[in-house]
Amino acid sequence: MSGSALRRLMAEYKQLTLNPPEGIIAGPINEENFFEWEALITGPDGTCFEGGVFPAKLVFPSDYPLSPPKMQFTCEMFHPNIYTDGKVCISILHAAGDDPMGYESSAERWSPVQSVEKILLSVVSMLAEPNDESGANVDAAKMWRENREEFNKIAQRIVRKTLGIPT
Amino acid sequence: MIKMRHISVTLLSVFLTFVVIGNAYYQKQQFYPSVVYITKSNPSMAVIYIQALVLVILLGKLMRKIFFGQLRATEFEHLVERSWYAITETCLAFTVFKDDFSPKFVALFTLVLFLKSFHWLAEDRVDFMERSPNISYLFHFRVLLLLVVLGLLDLHFVAAAYQSTVTKGASVQLVFGFEYAILLTVVFNIAVKYVLHTVDLNREIFWENKAVFLLYMELVMGFIKVVLYVFFVVIMIRFYTLPLFAFRPMYYAMRNFKKALIDVILSRRAIRNMNTLYPDVNPEELTDADNVCIICREEMQTASKRLPCNHIFHTSCLRSWFQRHQTCPTCRLNILRTPAPQQTQPMQPRMNQNRPAEPRAQPMGPQDNAFIPPPFAFPWIPQQPPNVQPNAADAAANQPGAQQEPAAAPTGEQPPPTDFSNFQFFCPPFPFFGMPIPPPPTPPSDLSNISEEELRKMEQASKEGIEARLRCLRNIQLLLDASVAMMQQYVSAANTAELAANASQSGAASTSSSNVRQPGAEGASTSSKESSPLSAEPSPSSQPQAGPSSSSSSLSEQEDIRKRRLQKFDQAAK
Repeated sequence: MSGSALRRLMAEYKQLTLNPPEGIIAGPINEENFFEWEALITGPDGTCFEGGVFPAKLVFPSDYPLSPPKMQFTCEMFHPNIYTDGKVCISILHAAGDDPMGYESSAERWSPVQSVEKILLSVVSMLAEPNDESGANVDAAKMWRENREEFNKIAQRIVRKTLGIPT
Repeated sequence: MIKMRHISVTLLSVFLTFVVIGNAYYQKQQFYPSVVYITKSNPSMAVIYIQALVLVILLGKLMRKIFFGQLRATEFEHLVERSWYAITETCLAFTVFKDDFSPKFVALFTLVLFLKSFHWLAEDRVDFMERSPNISYLFHFRVLLLLVVLGLLDLHFVAAAYQSTVTKGASVQLVFGFEYAILLTVVFNIAVKYVLHTVDLNREIFWENKAVFLLYMELVMGFIKVVLYVFFVVIMIRFYTLPLFAFRPMYYAMRNFKKALIDVILSRRAIRNMNTLYPDVNPEELTDADNVCIICREEMQTASKRLPCNHIFHTSCLRSWFQRHQTCPTCRLNILRTPAPQQTQPMQPRMNQNRPAEPRAQPMGPQDNAFIPPPFAFPWIPQQPPNVQPNAADAAANQPGAQQEPAAAPTGEQPPPTDFSNFQFFCPPFPFFGMPIPPPPTPPSDLSNISEEELRKMEQASKEGIEARLRCLRNIQLLLDASVAMMQQYVSAANTAELAANASQSGAASTSSSNVRQPGAEGASTSSKESSPLSAEPSPSSQPQAGPSSSSSSLSEQEDIRKRRLQKFDQAAK
């Protein structure tokens, strides 16, 4: 009998395949290992990331859903809430116990109620509305606040890059 | 690309080694002098050391191939991450033992690092068991072999360090002894995990106690590690100096131990609460609602618990969640800070959406019957009747929960003052004797908070209030009727008084006139005689007829007087 984590991931995978949310594709990289997923997120319409298709990797802990997965974009990203190495910094990906930044209320943190779908939807809304209060990428946060045009330009460049269009 | 570079580096080092050996042999021609030459020449030794390092790495790769096969990406990441810390700490350790710094010493540290990395990999590999749907026999074989080899090596080195310390006194062997002792605990930890995972994999049903075992193992291992580190630091301070290089792992060991301890304590409390206080959910209830456990996303058929916040989960899922966090997964209600629901009501009805543990606000308990107004109190008087306040206090005291939520508790007893000001407008100028009206209970802000029983109580209370009000209204009606009757009596009395006055005047007129016209007086007396029997009849209808009757009685008196006068007149006339 395999663990409950595996069964839950399989259930979520099934759910995501049957009812895919708009603009999001996600699934295990290979069927042998359900604990590493790949996700494709399209940039929300009407934002500077519009039209982009951003690949990301999700790594689930063995005690999922008791602990949150980790998410990392595998393409270049320039966003206030994404570290330069692509790791995503949003509150629902943080375990309920620890508070690395010291500003989140526990109500926003991870709980087993959350799911891959909710995480990806949160990331989409994060792309649309960066939270420049908690800068994972301080340069991006500063530019978002002070020089939006430049920020949009960089975002557009990244979008074109993910689509394979020469800039 | 990277592989190419590795191969080229390896080939280069092998080539350099051959060059060094060849050069030595070319110069000295014999084996022994060549060896001496190489050991005396620093560049040659550098090449030899590099060659040794390359060989160690190659050996590591070979062992990895044997024990692990292909490394997964995360395993490799972990390995690199931990290696950097370990290397920094090793360098720090060198500073403490700079006196006996020697190639042998470096080699021993390299060996420790080498073995450590295998421990980490074994740990990651065993953790992977939980994630993989199918585990091959090769996997089991590899893990078992690795654990046995690592365990034996660790034991051997601990024993060797102990022997060396006992026979030769404190030396750098102390550090190795402790390092290997720590590694031994790691091996033991991995072995226990491996056994647990294996048992879990071979079970048909979900093994809920596994997490408990893991938790306790973590606690015990954490304790052993903390003890080892403290012991080590004390000994190191005694013989050498402050072992800075051991501080980071010691800090982590302590933190982990503390976390494990808190986890064990809190989870024990939460799980005890769950087992004893929270009600089981019966299957019927599960089938008629959305019965997917939000933790595992599977249907709940049996063995489910309802939390005070009314959310339902599998007992086993809840248990494993409580081992980490003692909150409701859905609403994050802190389970330990919330008083459990009372056992007298094991089955909370569904409508009880919020926390039943919150004060049972019973605005009108049974004891409120006593509060049904005492007679002759005046409820319309703006200030509350004095007997209400103590009653409310009583009610509050009888409901221990009531103090906790002041907003909800006194609902029934303190109606908004506007009610009274409204009443004031209709306040009658004189006291009415009747049943006072209990002030209408203000409905609690959120009806959904209240259980069915409480609702029923409230309903009853309001019903009683309405009944009291009805009784009161009936009394008022009666009193009004009575007063109307009295008013009519007064009116009629006043009328008859007037009438009587008129009559006496007319009587006087008639007596004066009777002297002149007797027959007329006779006629009048007869007419009044005719009317008197009529009025003497007891009137079947009530007061409205009272006026005529009273006037008729006064008329008969006047008649008597007249008769007597007439008789006198008659006698006088004879």
